[in-house]
Amino acid sequence: MLCPESLRVQAYFDAEVDVMSALEIERHVERCAECRTLHQALKQLRADLRRNLSPLEIPPALRARIDKVLDAERDTSSPPPTQPERLSWRTRAFWVGAGSGLGTAAIAAMLAVLWIVPSPTTPVADQLVSAHLNSLLSTHLIDVVSTDQHTVKPWFAGHTDVSPVVADFEPEGYKLIGGRIDYLEHQRAAVVVYRHGPHVINVFSWAGERSAVPGNTTRNGYHLVFWTSGNLEYCAVSDTGWDELLGLVRLLKDRAIQEARQ
Amino acid sequence: MTDTRRRFETQVLPHLNAAYRFARWLAPSTSDADDLVQEAILRAYRGFDGLRGADAKAWLLTIVRNCHSTALRQEQRRALVPLPDENDEQDGYALIDAGPDPESASMLRDDQRSLEELIARLPEDYREALILREIEDLGYREIAAVTNVPIGTVMSRLARARGVLRKHWLQQTEGESRAVP
Repeated sequence: MLCPESLRVQAYFDAEVDVMSALEIERHVERCAECRTLHQALKQLRADLRRNLSPLEIPPALRARIDKVLDAERDTSSPPPTQPERLSWRTRAFWVGAGSGLGTAAIAAMLAVLWIVPSPTTPVADQLVSAHLNSLLSTHLIDVVSTDQHTVKPWFAGHTDVSPVVADFEPEGYKLIGGRIDYLEHQRAAVVVYRHGPHVINVFSWAGERSAVPGNTTRNGYHLVFWTSGNLEYCAVSDTGWDELLGLVRLLKDRAIQEARQ
Repeated sequence: MTDTRRRFETQVLPHLNAAYRFARWLAPSTSDADDLVQEAILRAYRGFDGLRGADAKAWLLTIVRNCHSTALRQEQRRALVPLPDENDEQDGYALIDAGPDPESASMLRDDQRSLEELIARLPEDYREALILREIEDLGYREIAAVTNVPIGTVMSRLARARGVLRKHWLQQTEGESRAVP
């Protein structure tokens, strides 16, 4: 007999539920042997699929054929819309969030974010503090709820070009609670969210073009630590003390070095 | 390069690989998949203004799927008139669409069957939900939009697809371990 909660367990596995429901389902899975097996089976199947299916890419010849077809279309294509490009990118970011997120709450939260987020010309530190504050005030703290790095990291792969270091450091006091996408520096940034005691730490990462990152700074009582790793710029933002924040940054840097060696 | 083309390149073409992968799952052969992708990209380009704020990946995959349905309908109409030759290329369809149902497929005891083949044998409704979720990483809302069904249907199709696939996969891997002395 199928447990009536099985579809909710699947939705939880697919990161389609909000934080409160996630907690509820986690409690249920602890009690219900059938759902525990189901959750395990879902994880296993995903792992098997990832391992067994080769990532298929479009053959260059077909790509060239398509380019040629598009070239031939040039003269007949409709004139560009009058809407400025930046606006279209913003609405796009909204729909990406809405499509991948947690339903109406996420849509409302994204709308709020879009209104509050400063224009992309403000210094990155201000953008980061705004994004951090918005994540705390709105329900848009997390798009993918998971304490499992193997869930969060692939989720980013499907939602942004950025592939940051994702790891749980619960033994060290930094519990991974999920990830989300924010809009920073004209691009989609991956945000890994940690809890440290009562504090939330947002670790932003985005493809960096600058050779020098901004120095660490404090804005409105929030500390910001910047660093680069690989081709990404990172910034950790929180209202924890400097030492706690730098502690997490150290762990993340060490992890990046380990991953690079592998 | 025109402005429209440039915007198309930045917004839609990053999802070209996703479109190609999806087409490969839908179309009966590689060359059909090539044609399907080309047709879909052309339609997407002509209808690019229709994208507006929507998510480009889900939008493009929807077009791929619609093109596939149109092609399939045309094939079926053509197939109504003459009986297909023995070596007619349309036989390829039978491999995927009219193949044995999942239950009897499991009776074939083909230990070498790969996970990919098992997916190909899923009923098309199940298969596309599974592919869009597990391979293209779309959310339920996006899958519902691409496949044009309510979210509840997406959830139950996914559950069935995963259940059937897991069952057959386990049967096969167990069969393999039995085969090893």
